[in-house]
Amino acid sequence: MRRLCFALVASAVFAMLLSSAVRAQTEEFAAANKFYEEKDYPSAIRLYLSVLNQHGESPTLYLNLGNAYFKAGDLGHAVLYYTRAKRRDPSDEDIAHNFMFARQFSRVQMEGVQLNPISAFLSSIVDPYRLDAMAWLTCALFLVFMLFLVIRYGLGVVSPAVRIGAIVAVVFLFVVGGLTSFKYRTDYLTRRAVIIADECPVRTGASEQSDMELQGAPGLVVEIMSETSDYYNVLFENKRRGWVKKELVAEI
Amino acid sequence: METIPEKTGSTQAPAGFILTALLVGIFAVGLTVAVSATPDLSVNVMLDRDTIGLDEQALLQVEISGESQNLPAPVLPTLPTFEIYSQGRSSSINIVNGKVTSSVVYRYLLLPQKPGVFPIDQISVVYNNRRHKGNAVELTVVDAGSASPQELEDRALDTEGDSRDYFMEAVVDKKEPFVNEQVTLTLKFYIAVRYYGSPELTEPTTTGFWTEVIGNKAPYFQKINDRRYKVIERKYALFPTQTGKLTIGRAAIRTTVAGKRRQKRDPFDVFDFGDFFGRGVEVTARSRPITVDVQPLPRAERPDDFTGTIGSFSIRVSADKSQVEVNQPVTVTVAITGTGNIKSVAEPVIPELDDFRVYRASSSEKLSASGDKFGGTKIFEEVFIPRRPGTLEIPAFKFNYFDPGKNRYVTGSTRPMPLMVTRPEGYVASQDQPYVSPDMTIGSEARGIRHIKFQLGQVTPRGRVILLTPLFLLVNSLPVLLLAGTVLLRRRREKLAADVGYARARGAARLARKRLAKAKTLAQVQQAGEFYAEVYQVLTSYIADKLNISPHGLTTESIAELLRQRAADEKLVADVSRVIEECDFARFAPASLTQQDIDRSLEQVETVMIGIEGVRFA
Repeated sequence: MRRLCFALVASAVFAMLLSSAVRAQTEEFAAANKFYEEKDYPSAIRLYLSVLNQHGESPTLYLNLGNAYFKAGDLGHAVLYYTRAKRRDPSDEDIAHNFMFARQFSRVQMEGVQLNPISAFLSSIVDPYRLDAMAWLTCALFLVFMLFLVIRYGLGVVSPAVRIGAIVAVVFLFVVGGLTSFKYRTDYLTRRAVIIADECPVRTGASEQSDMELQGAPGLVVEIMSETSDYYNVLFENKRRGWVKKELVAEI
Repeated sequence: METIPEKTGSTQAPAGFILTALLVGIFAVGLTVAVSATPDLSVNVMLDRDTIGLDEQALLQVEISGESQNLPAPVLPTLPTFEIYSQGRSSSINIVNGKVTSSVVYRYLLLPQKPGVFPIDQISVVYNNRRHKGNAVELTVVDAGSASPQELEDRALDTEGDSRDYFMEAVVDKKEPFVNEQVTLTLKFYIAVRYYGSPELTEPTTTGFWTEVIGNKAPYFQKINDRRYKVIERKYALFPTQTGKLTIGRAAIRTTVAGKRRQKRDPFDVFDFGDFFGRGVEVTARSRPITVDVQPLPRAERPDDFTGTIGSFSIRVSADKSQVEVNQPVTVTVAITGTGNIKSVAEPVIPELDDFRVYRASSSEKLSASGDKFGGTKIFEEVFIPRRPGTLEIPAFKFNYFDPGKNRYVTGSTRPMPLMVTRPEGYVASQDQPYVSPDMTIGSEARGIRHIKFQLGQVTPRGRVILLTPLFLLVNSLPVLLLAGTVLLRRRREKLAADVGYARARGAARLARKRLAKAKTLAQVQQAGEFYAEVYQVLTSYIADKLNISPHGLTTESIAELLRQRAADEKLVADVSRVIEECDFARFAPASLTQQDIDRSLEQVETVMIGIEGVRFA
């Protein structure tokens, strides 16, 4: 009885804390939106970042942050947060639109962008879907496949229907699982960054003394290939490489 | 009145004429296209030396290079004063950025027939019905043995007036160059005896110069003081970086030459195969230092924006697009090509432009040597972003350099390039940014982006990836556990069904507990007989089930023996035997038992059962 009472009290306290946390984040978010509507973008950014740091991320939060930075004239951070929003929810049309729209403003447009045809094909398949959804679909297919195995080997049911079902399930599992792995590798394992500084010299080596290869511009997305203590070795979309100072870019 | 005779067939002529005209037209257009599409072809004629003796030979090289892979052979003019021998050819193909260029070098040996000065200027290549002429060269043939200057002949003699086997010369083409003007240093190693391996060169010190190696020349032979020397030549392009007297240090070359044969006095010397196997004497030849007096550039007429580049250059500019929309980039490539210190060529200065934002994209160099002259191409890429629509102009680029050949400053320039800048849909003018559309404005007045959202949605911890969450891993591991469990269960069931002994052994404990529970219900004096019968059953059935034998016929001795065979503790064996004996006694004389006896027996049998469960029966 005492245990039951303790459990009930603990649950009630937890629910109250959770409720107050949710209420706090909602109030802070609403206040940030109000600042945005009043065109006080620095205050809006401050509050959005507070929600992000204290409570966590959401596609909407990233979208609003991107908008606030864009309106504040900071293209680099705008593209950064739109990219993060798109990664969390690629199916959101508003996010996709703002992301594409903002990228047009980069002073330097990448030309000669070379895409691996296989990667481009796989990307075209997985791009509209969220990683979470794909992961759960893979999980469901795995469950179905395992159920067929349980029926066959656990219960000893030998039938062509079970065999065909298992084969179909495993084929789907490999296809969806492979695509999920590809998306995970592309979106999370491949390190990317966005140039956030107005002037971002890209050098031939990891030092100030190295020659400048080209001038990067805010909003350009680069792939991080390696790093030293102060510099990232980055690969641009058109396959040009160089070293940029870490403080001039933000990792996605 | 004379009548003009009517042309016969004039009525049929138009069709045939038109057809012919069409064919001729098509042919002409095709020819024009073919000719205009003919890739550039260059013919470069080179001599290894300008002056040779009458009993010497010169190597004539004709290099044909172009974008075609099937380059034709050169046509040599009649050179009656020379005997000409072909020395073969070598070819190479370069692929840069997908562009294929190839070159073929034809080599000819020229043996002079008489002294004199002979121009060689009619070497040409016929390609696609066009004749490409090579550059003119001139070969001076002097009387035999007098090809080398006196100084060289003196160098070839040692202090005693004997001819040297080897020596080294260093010469420069200019003793009073301008600062940053190329000085070509030539090192020549003359050797008249056999040598082994590759000579090892110690480069000269060139403090005060920026140095580039032009390369080695193919070895050739030269006669000096009636002795035939093999000449190994290496050239450098030196660019003085300061004015005043600068010294080029000694170069040294070390090699192993064949030792002079001794007179064999020792009869065993016949077994000395040293020279036969290439053992020789290591020797070193050194050049003499050279001093050059570097002159400053003239101050007169020096342009204000002169950056110190010296040589002979040309500048050209190209854009990747001739029509763009506002705010879209155009890459303008400025290429400066020529001879001189190409690395010191500075980027052309672009003034502030109202119509464009300009960003430097990159610069690159391609170094090359044309004959002894060092040079190449430096390419600057500038990104021009037009601010407004209309016909804009990419301005002319200017580039200043000092041409030492002409002894004056030269300004190379390009022509302005027109650029059509179109206005995308929705552009309007505003005061701050006159030709920028509101949609294309970043900042507080920006339009075109979709509005913020007011529902925060599900908030997850930052950086959380579903694939790595405990819930996801748990959900994925459950079906694996389910499969493993069902498979094990099925196997156990099958084994129980197929193996009676296994089934009895597995069920022995459960059955024994059941019987013990029943015995507990009988643990009363009134039911002492039934109680001990049940306890007896508990023990014997448990052991019989464990060993898959019949419980009937098991005696105290046989049970004790079976337990001993399974390495049971002797105390346990004794306890079991005692309990069984008590059971036997009680079953046949139950009247003498008290409740305490029954309780003690129950306790004993429970203890014994725990002990028996520890015995390994399998």
